[in-house]
Amino acid sequence: MTRLVPPPLLSALKSGFGTPLASLLTFLAAGLVLTVSWSAAGWLFVNAVWPWQAAEACQVNTGICWPFLVEKARFILFGTYPAGQHMRPAVVSVLLIALTVITCRQMTGKPPHLSPVQLICAWLVTVPLCFVLMGGGVFGLEPVDPVRWNGMPILLMLSVIAIVLAFPLGLALALARTQTTHKGLSWAAAGYVEATRAVPMLTVIFVGIFVLPLTLPEGMSISPVTATLVALIFFHASYFAEDIRSGLISLPRGQTEAARSLGLSYWQSIFFVGLPQAIRRALPALVNSMIGAYKDTSLVIVVGILDLTATARASFGDPGWRDHALEAYGLVGVWFFLSCAYLSSVGRSLHKQTKG
Amino acid sequence: MIPPSPPPPVKRRIRLSDVFVLSGIAVLLAFALANIQANMAAAGVHPGFGFLTKEAGFDVSETLIPYSPGSSYIRVILAGLANTVFLAGVCIILATVIGVLMGLVSVGPSPAGRWLAVAYVELFRNLPKLLVLLVLFVAAVNGLPHVREAMSAGPFHLSNRSLNFPVPLWDGKGWILLLALAAGLILPRLIEAHLQKHWGRSTPMPLSVLIGCPIVCVLAASVLFQVPSGFSVPELKGFDFQGGARVSLQFCVIAVTLGIYHGAQIAEVVRGGLQSVPKGQSEAAQALGLTRSQTIRLIILPQVIRIIIPPMNNQYVNLIKNTSIAIAVGYSDLMSVSGTVINQSFKPLEMMLITMGLYLVLCMSVATALNTYQARLIGRETR
Repeated sequence: MTRLVPPPLLSALKSGFGTPLASLLTFLAAGLVLTVSWSAAGWLFVNAVWPWQAAEACQVNTGICWPFLVEKARFILFGTYPAGQHMRPAVVSVLLIALTVITCRQMTGKPPHLSPVQLICAWLVTVPLCFVLMGGGVFGLEPVDPVRWNGMPILLMLSVIAIVLAFPLGLALALARTQTTHKGLSWAAAGYVEATRAVPMLTVIFVGIFVLPLTLPEGMSISPVTATLVALIFFHASYFAEDIRSGLISLPRGQTEAARSLGLSYWQSIFFVGLPQAIRRALPALVNSMIGAYKDTSLVIVVGILDLTATARASFGDPGWRDHALEAYGLVGVWFFLSCAYLSSVGRSLHKQTKG
Repeated sequence: MIPPSPPPPVKRRIRLSDVFVLSGIAVLLAFALANIQANMAAAGVHPGFGFLTKEAGFDVSETLIPYSPGSSYIRVILAGLANTVFLAGVCIILATVIGVLMGLVSVGPSPAGRWLAVAYVELFRNLPKLLVLLVLFVAAVNGLPHVREAMSAGPFHLSNRSLNFPVPLWDGKGWILLLALAAGLILPRLIEAHLQKHWGRSTPMPLSVLIGCPIVCVLAASVLFQVPSGFSVPELKGFDFQGGARVSLQFCVIAVTLGIYHGAQIAEVVRGGLQSVPKGQSEAAQALGLTRSQTIRLIILPQVIRIIIPPMNNQYVNLIKNTSIAIAVGYSDLMSVSGTVINQSFKPLEMMLITMGLYLVLCMSVATALNTYQARLIGRETR
């Protein structure tokens, strides 16, 4: 005899209201969801002031004020960058986003299929290009002081470029720590990685802003943006080093031993046998660390660098727009949510690949 | 592992390359230090820690230890450290409570509850903590009432300036309760040891005694010695509250931010821990005739705790480090105090060494404590 299977709705109801505790939870959760979606719908649609309406309506209506976003969108994206030159930060942002997406697709095995060498070359060209485009002063581009590099491009530069440059440093630290021939080097790497991981990112940024300029010989100077970038590279590198190291030590010893016995040199056995496998194993953890690094970049606001979060905070500073903090922060929140969700999905598919 | 195969015979010879690498690092450091010395001399500042005993001269909005602008730099750093420790303690409790509750809901019987827990975790995993902090801060400053119209729940008052709450009056007799608590914690152990010695019984004390004994001891001491003698209750007088204790709005907002931000991550840890215990474990326990609460207490919980301690350790260390975002809303924690000191005294290297050292010690001690606890748990099992 076949057992009767209850229809899905009925079984959901049964599990949702099966016991007193379950019903209580269901009521609480449903109540919370309904309240939140009710007020969200009111704010987003019912009381909204639409982009084609006059901005004065925002004084009366309590909902989202689209005219505010329309007027301030450029400021939130590019901050105080000279208005006539907005094409440059826009190109930098698009370049960095596009190259990040291509790299992520590459990792998960989707087209366009580039060779690792092509990918590395693309990054090597893009990173200096970003600085040239933002700073100007060559090729007839109007020079722009780093203080005016604001909003989206600075967020992307301080996150994407820091991550890209921190990766090789992290790799070197991980290799230095796992090798056993040079004890001193291994201890130095271990000490550096452990110390950096036990202090807040803000202290490292402070070191970059306040101490780094002091260590330069007389006559040399460093802009706050570059100092922060250097600090972030050194900070993220220790996290990446730890991820790569766990990938390295998870490899069976026989792998490198076999490579060595086949006559490969130490560096050959590392680059052709050890590292490719170790990085593949470490990728899910690495992607997690990268998402964390990307989200934490917003902390640069503390040392006076105006990234996306900071321009959003400044956008509702004018007397007329004081009540529209939620719109500005909402825009930034949506951007972070979408970009992080994309990166997490990359992490998840990498996780599946390494398991399968 | 990377290193080439068969381990070479140990040679106690110092390698030349090692000397090169280490002396290279040393030369770089010396170069940087020499430059710092030269640059600071050019600015007319002498490096060194002597400034610590000088007068700080700036005020700190809320402190747990006595402090005035006339106090020394050491004292202001200690005040900041005390604020950081207090903030971290409150955040750890808040995040653990939220995380464990949401973790339980996410494996609970109600589909609506599970859905809500997933939405909560996903939302806060994909947002920067600074953004959450700034949004909550703006919402709290604009949304909460002015001090004179503070929201009140009994003796608790929340306004857009502070949270005021009653505190017990100890009259310097608080140590009696601590003593009673210690006695209540030790007593069951003594009885246990006594039973084992004289009766050869090694049954552990029931949980109700282990928890109940300290509570009874503290209550008895409290009634016997009249400790606390009363409560100091905040009351609205003029433009602010008098009496009781207060924490600033900044403190509350940071605590709530880190509570829900890390709560989401702890919920994931708890969910993973709960789901990693095979179903057969609880089925076997029930087949042996254990009750539901016995199954949870003796079979499920010990396994879950063993699994989640390392990731929880990680979370707590991250949380302590993340309290440094307090500087973004102007709460005087260690980070923001040291920022002010740097701006005033122009001793960035010395101050950053102190600050990083203090954070290092703080994080390491929490991590070591939890690691020791886990080692004890594992040790007990294999005994």
